[in-house]
Amino acid sequence: MATPRIVQQGVKQVKPLMSVDRTEARRRVLNLYKAWYRQIPYVVKDFYLPITVKMGRDKVRELFLKNKHVTDIRNIDMLVIKGQMDLVETANIWKQRNHVMMFFKDTVNPKPTDFLSKFYEGQE
Amino acid sequence: MAAFRRATPQLLVTARKIIEQTNRSSSCARWMSSITAATGSTDIDKKEGEHKGITISVPEKVDISCITGVPEEHVKTRTVRIFVPAVNSMQSGTFNARRWRMEFDERERWENPLMGWCSSGDPLSNLEVNFTCKEDAIAFCEKNGWDWFVEEQKKPKKMKKSYGANFSWDGRTRVSTK
Repeated sequence: MATPRIVQQGVKQVKPLMSVDRTEARRRVLNLYKAWYRQIPYVVKDFYLPITVKMGRDKVRELFLKNKHVTDIRNIDMLVIKGQMDLVETANIWKQRNHVMMFFKDTVNPKPTDFLSKFYEGQE
Repeated sequence: MAAFRRATPQLLVTARKIIEQTNRSSSCARWMSSITAATGSTDIDKKEGEHKGITISVPEKVDISCITGVPEEHVKTRTVRIFVPAVNSMQSGTFNARRWRMEFDERERWENPLMGWCSSGDPLSNLEVNFTCKEDAIAFCEKNGWDWFVEEQKKPKKMKKSYGANFSWDGRTRVSTK
């Protein structure tokens, strides 16, 4: 059922969210990354997280790299804004401990992949 | 200290402010100003007038699935069917058939053991979005990163009906009596 995707039709002129070019967007991303990186020790200490600083920083890196395929400037800006909001919420302790630990998903059971475990789970 | 922190968050905040004011240099990352400045938002406030009227060129079709907040498993694994809903068979009106609708692939449903109601764990199962044309629907799916396919509309053949045709001398009507 594979449909041929619509061919990219060209460019349009839009209002920027924050950045006007790729370099500026990149600078914002790096600044946000640095801010998170510096905040992690305080986060671990303030929330009494059962993780090391290294684990926290690895997680930040992982979450940033998850979006490395994004190329659109406005998408990058929106992601930066969301990350910024998250950082502020964490730094001000508007979050609670479990909200921070949700990044690690250690209470989420991985979905079964092979036939038998799916059967045991009761899925299809 | 732990119990104190949990019990009085307000006090904690003020205490932290005081501590921060004393150790300004050692814990600079905790300063809100430095956190908000991290993404350059303070620069932007200054440059507000400068940015006014500036436009940037971006591709016409952009995948926004990274910022919509839809979980990855519901972006990559879902397929959208784009179709024209069937008309109501009890009526002669065609109101339903004037729009295009999108629908996701069916996921597991089960009968609720308590009440016998139908349950589903699929958050997109009841999503109903109507479009005026299929191009709009396709653009929406592309934008959200979903796979899609179109079920083309089947237009009913119009039958010529007239009373006089019943008495036609050469038409093949009322075959049983001729």
